[in-house]
Amino acid sequence: MSSPNDPGQAPAERLPHRLYDADGNPTKDRPWIFRTYAGHSSAAASNALYRKNLAAGQTGLSVAFDLPTQTGYSSDHPLALPEVGKVGVPINTIDDMHQLFEGIPLAEMNTSMTINATAMWLLALYIGVARERGEDVRKLQGTTQNDIIKEYLARGTYIFPPEASLRLIAEMYEYCLDNLPKWNASNICSYHLQEAGATPVQELAFALANAIGVLDTIRERGVVPADRFPEVVGRISFFVNSGIRFIEEMCKMRAFVELWDEITRDRYGVTDPKQRLFRYGVQVNSLGLTEQQPENNAWRILIEALGVTLSRKARCRALQLPAWNEALSLPRPWDQQWSLRLQQILAYETDLLEYPDIFDGSVVIESKVEELKRQAREEIARIEAMGGIRAAVESGYLKSQLVRSMSERVSKINSGELVIVGVNRWTDGLPSPLLTGEDGGIFKVDEAETRRTLEALAAVKAKRDPARVQAALEALEAAARSGANLMEPSIECALARVTTGEWADTLRRVFGEYRPPTGVEGQRLYVDSDRVAEVRRRAEEFVRRTGHRPRIVVGKPGLDGHSNGAEVIAVAARHCGFDVVYSGIRLTPEEIVQSAVEEAADVIGLSILSGSHLDLTRQVIEGLRAAGAGDSIPVIVGGIIPKDDHEALRALGVRQIFTPADFDLADVMSRIMDVVEEQAGVRAR
Amino acid sequence: MTAPALDELVAGAIALEKWPLARLVRLFEDARPEAVPGKAAAIAALEAHGALPRAMVAGFTGTPGSGKSTLVGELAARMVARDQAVSVAVLAIDPSSHRSGGSILGDRTRVHFPIGERRLYFRSQPSDRELGGMGRATYPVVRVLERLFDYVFVETVGIGQSEVEIERLADRVYLVLQPLGGDHIQFMKAGIMEVPHAFILNKCDVGAAARRSYHALRASIDFARPGEASPPPIYRTSALSGEGLDDVLADLAAHRTVRDPAGRRERDRYFLEKWVRDEYGRFGLELLERQGGAEGLLARAATFEAAQAAYRPPIAPPG
Repeated sequence: MSSPNDPGQAPAERLPHRLYDADGNPTKDRPWIFRTYAGHSSAAASNALYRKNLAAGQTGLSVAFDLPTQTGYSSDHPLALPEVGKVGVPINTIDDMHQLFEGIPLAEMNTSMTINATAMWLLALYIGVARERGEDVRKLQGTTQNDIIKEYLARGTYIFPPEASLRLIAEMYEYCLDNLPKWNASNICSYHLQEAGATPVQELAFALANAIGVLDTIRERGVVPADRFPEVVGRISFFVNSGIRFIEEMCKMRAFVELWDEITRDRYGVTDPKQRLFRYGVQVNSLGLTEQQPENNAWRILIEALGVTLSRKARCRALQLPAWNEALSLPRPWDQQWSLRLQQILAYETDLLEYPDIFDGSVVIESKVEELKRQAREEIARIEAMGGIRAAVESGYLKSQLVRSMSERVSKINSGELVIVGVNRWTDGLPSPLLTGEDGGIFKVDEAETRRTLEALAAVKAKRDPARVQAALEALEAAARSGANLMEPSIECALARVTTGEWADTLRRVFGEYRPPTGVEGQRLYVDSDRVAEVRRRAEEFVRRTGHRPRIVVGKPGLDGHSNGAEVIAVAARHCGFDVVYSGIRLTPEEIVQSAVEEAADVIGLSILSGSHLDLTRQVIEGLRAAGAGDSIPVIVGGIIPKDDHEALRALGVRQIFTPADFDLADVMSRIMDVVEEQAGVRAR
Repeated sequence: MTAPALDELVAGAIALEKWPLARLVRLFEDARPEAVPGKAAAIAALEAHGALPRAMVAGFTGTPGSGKSTLVGELAARMVARDQAVSVAVLAIDPSSHRSGGSILGDRTRVHFPIGERRLYFRSQPSDRELGGMGRATYPVVRVLERLFDYVFVETVGIGQSEVEIERLADRVYLVLQPLGGDHIQFMKAGIMEVPHAFILNKCDVGAAARRSYHALRASIDFARPGEASPPPIYRTSALSGEGLDDVLADLAAHRTVRDPAGRRERDRYFLEKWVRDEYGRFGLELLERQGGAEGLLARAATFEAAQAAYRPPIAPPG
């Protein structure tokens, strides 16, 4: 960016298509940070994986935590057990954290932790490890995602109500300002909004309104002196999604950069341009990855990566790419390596990093960016008029907007208006040789690792000083009640070897737990076809024959908060004439059974994406049996369910299985209707 | 259903076993004429087992978003936790789609009852395209639940003509409001303000807005119900913090009544008349359909009045 200033260099040689460094010498950009979102099984297994990835040329870490850790349960909690180590690493105490980073110097690493409701706790553990190792805590750099808003809207790993959650975020900023100056205490994450169906405008507007909400909260608290507030602004980072429409996505990124510059300047009066930079990391879109012809996903990932790297003015700071087989299961190490190689080819083999911004002056790009900015400003103004991001979450406005966008997207796929190669066009293909290996091309968590995690937890509990634990928890509770900053008490909890569940339970007692609106009420589905009419006709016939309308309980058991599938099914079932009981996420199997039994449901539909489908389904079916309804209420299951498990589910008594390949809603509803009619003995056809 | 099967179902329901209870409720949700003998048999079986009406029926009506479900769920759970002998059923009505007939029954989302507690029962009910906040099956289902539980809480959907109906159905009616601008309360005072026995201003954890609304409401009541010797109470509650819930529970306890036979006959008379009106309305529409539907009839007749005259009712009007 810097203009050449070497007096020895003739002006004519300073070419607009070249990059020059501060000394006026031709140069090229440094690549972004290469990361892989990784972690599974146990701290030891994840540590081995990280070291392998770093040796393979990865330049930063992105830690995936398992759902119990994300939702504040220790691995030995009944809700946690089926999920331990499934979608990330379980961290119970500081000793797990030590194990996770063994042999990795913290002060030299750039670590991103995808953790939200328990972000303060994980940061406290990270600091605790650095302190116990004698590393310089001030040098720690990285990010705790810590974006609770998007958890309410899209991902579901929230614990506390909005006010308490925002307080935790603000206190982390306040603490980091002096103690961890290179740490991004939170990271506004629009990634999951796109996964939940957000349009580019919604992604822009919701993320920026969210950042405004966080900054306003910090400013209103008045803890950070006004003259240091720009430092806080400068520490906000973003985590963005990049989808397949890569021109539009690139324009979205440019719009983000320009709008953020505008907001930080006009709203917060930040004068230093560096503190106004839109600093962001990216994980490209998983939503668009398909189970059908999964090898096609490799190309999708490449194209999505281009959207956030081509545009120099809006190039991401860090990138992590999913693996081609993520719609099937967790990726294997080889799949992750393949994705890392893509980044390395892009950064080191191509000439991408040699040029200034290649889109400057394009009227097409400029016009598109302006359009996105205008629409995003309008939406931000709407949210502000409602009283800001928190009010817009609590009223259910944002959630219902996302559920609507998702329904529209699904409807377009169903109608063929949105082409997805291998899914609704060119569906015939040769079988993929990538899937024919011994492991079927998918990864399975070793159950023995769960035992190791539980043993480690028990060992820590046995050897720690109970008096210190007790004192640390009491101090934490006292600070939570008094409003004092919770960081130091949390660090003391970490050092005292308090567990994740104990830390979170203490705060649950003070703050309470939150259940946000589900967003499905009042939604319409934009699918109108002869086949939907046929299902409706069958529903009416069912009413005539049985005297009641078909009633489905849509249940999301366990800790998996990815509720899009459940929501789309709930809306679709209502559209097709069902009475739908849907109570949101994180239900126990017992709660789902109780709902289905009390409501005399005609069918239970379980939605499970975390890989715990066998355990959870078994618990539901056993619960139904115990209630005397075992033969009366059929169970169907949907989610990311590998083919290998279908037989086991059917052996449990599951009547239908739906996977991401079942995108055709009319077909899904028709198959659900089959089950309902068969059960009631009113098979009409 | 065979007589022994029905008897078993009824015995299970009286023991408050959830699955028999749920199936018995389903029997009463069935609005088809052919279901009537089954329902009559079930009522007879209940009476034979000594299950006579014993519940106080409390109606909770109010604006959407006022937090009715959370409040009702919280009240029921507290009531049961406090008194080891008491049992409560909650019947929560949600709107149906007029297009598909389907519904999202979302009230359970906001109610967290302990697992396996027999003395608490929650049942969702779609409004079944009925206007007015209650479904066709609401009254029949209440007739079962009031024989099995000590309290039946009926949570209606929204505010419409429902307030009249809930007045007929319930022994005591609560109107749940949320802190709003004074305008909203002004707006509502036409009619609805005359109905409830008590007001509940919920979500009072929001502070200043709640205080303003309380005073606006107080003033509106005096205006809408002039000359009442004792104006109805206004309870300020927060289902979140628990504030004021005990006051509502005390109100319920203080007004606990079980409708006497004369009162029940009066209620039956009202709902029978309503049923006849509805059924014959439906029958009339069927007849219209057989005459080519409104479209066909209008096409054959020159004007709206001519179509009215051409419509042949099932029975000739008197005179």
